Amino acid sequence: MKKITFLIILLIVSLLHISAQQYTGMSGLIHVPSAEMDSAGDARLGGHFLNKRFTPAGSFIHEGVPYHTFDCYISITPFRWIELGYTTTMYKRPNKDGELRYNQKDRYFSVKLNPLREGRWFPAIALGANDFINSHFGIDDKGASGYFRNYYIAATKHLTSKIGIVGMNIAYRHFFFDGSKKWNGTVGGITFQPIFARNMRIITEWSGNEVNAGIDCTLWKHLLIQVSLQSGKYPSAGLCYKTNLF
Amino acid sequence: MKHSILKPHEMRNNRITPFKKVLLVGFLLLSGLPAWAQMRPGQIDIFAGVDFNYRDIFHNDRLYDVLINLTPGIKWNMRNRWEASAQVVIPVVNQFGEGFSNKVRLNMAVLSKQFPIKNRMKVKLSGGLFGASRYGLDVKSMWIANKWLAFTGQAGLTGYCSLASGWEASTMKRLTFLIGPEFWLESWTTQMRIKAGRFIYGDYGVQAEAFRHFKHTSVGIFASYSDIGKENAGFKIILALPPYKRTRRKINFRPASNFRLTYNVSSDYYSNRQYFTDPEQNERNGWFDRDMLPWGPDTMSPDFIYKDRKEER
Repeated sequence: MKKITFLIILLIVSLLHISAQQYTGMSGLIHVPSAEMDSAGDARLGGHFLNKRFTPAGSFIHEGVPYHTFDCYISITPFRWIELGYTTTMYKRPNKDGELRYNQKDRYFSVKLNPLREGRWFPAIALGANDFINSHFGIDDKGASGYFRNYYIAATKHLTSKIGIVGMNIAYRHFFFDGSKKWNGTVGGITFQPIFARNMRIITEWSGNEVNAGIDCTLWKHLLIQVSLQSGKYPSAGLCYKTNLF
Repeated sequence: MKHSILKPHEMRNNRITPFKKVLLVGFLLLSGLPAWAQMRPGQIDIFAGVDFNYRDIFHNDRLYDVLINLTPGIKWNMRNRWEASAQVVIPVVNQFGEGFSNKVRLNMAVLSKQFPIKNRMKVKLSGGLFGASRYGLDVKSMWIANKWLAFTGQAGLTGYCSLASGWEASTMKRLTFLIGPEFWLESWTTQMRIKAGRFIYGDYGVQAEAFRHFKHTSVGIFASYSDIGKENAGFKIILALPPYKRTRRKINFRPASNFRLTYNVSSDYYSNRQYFTDPEQNERNGWFDRDMLPWGPDTMSPDFIYKDRKEER
């Protein structure tokens, strides 16, 4: 009887699929991309508070002082093998009265392709890019900044155990903006989805420059929350509405 | 109004037996309960939607400039696919400034007629005041090659007409046209189209769109080129507005059938622009009644299921 109960639990757990809410609105970890994909038809609409350590160095600053900011995004998974997202990150600029306000923004598109789905013995593979349209290094002649421009390849493999699902993620990415280059190279993370709280995921990642930890959680089927600490002390958090359009 | 797709010798081989008659009558009785067609002959729909526009210009201390209009309208199905429609614009928020009037005004007043030609082609003729401040005559057509390929064409002879600040009009001599193929990938509920031609501000260009149609939402990406505005790209979201189960009367009050949102990477307002000839026109539902030679998204489940009131069946 115990064996059957265990097998049923194992089956239920293996059917679960939770993807983290990344600050770009795409599935992933905290700052690190993964090869997990949302289900076909999933759409996300949300925002993320970004600690000043979370954004590229030298990007969101005023008179040499970095500031916290936030972003808003919308994303869609039209097919199970592609995710598309659009993100705007707020800038602070002095207004006519000289007061510092969030009145400008940096905009970028994201894309993630999943040519290989996760199998029993091999990991899922994803190729992706953020800020890939009309972006160059620094400010280009059309006003695009390219702060978030990066390309990556990621692999993800999940292991199911009695106590939950462990996700192992590794990625190689390349940023172009000088202030983002600290996140270049091999990055990765581990996720854990406990069996007693299947709507929650615990994340630890190496972003290439620091170790981040966080939790994401799905509430009432549609509300995704993610809270994280960068280097164990700089918080970021986001809220997202997620629904399936089918 | 559907035409038979059976040839004469096939019809002879398909004589209706009494058993088939019973089945057919039963089916028709059942299918009469929820009616799938958009509007019944003689029906009048009064509806209201929202026209949401935003633009992103730097250095004005605002994240976005917003232009929100209420767009109440009326449609009268005059039988035999004749339809009269009108739409009024009621400005609610206008941060676009000069050139975008705060006046309540007539935006559209159109008389149209749709008809099929054999089993392959459908045509829609329209005349009147169209959207985008154009008036004149317009013809739209679709030639269906097979279930995944069709060719669409549109031509219009229009002039400028705006009631935004008094009465302004020009003579009706701007010829616009668009032509191109459409592809329907049924298993992916995906529609792709390419159109090339001349747009309302006289520019020549090409547009390519790809839409994934979901249950009540369509999400698409597009890219375009105009000899004046050059490259543009972006995405479109079309949301069919609830309620999805509706009761149909002779006169119906309802929300607009859809809400459209377009994001343009380029901010050029005067290129690749086209007018609408229907107050509820959108890329999800296309140009024609969905029950007239259904093709592409017309073959999906309808957004709205209508239940006729008992006394009107």
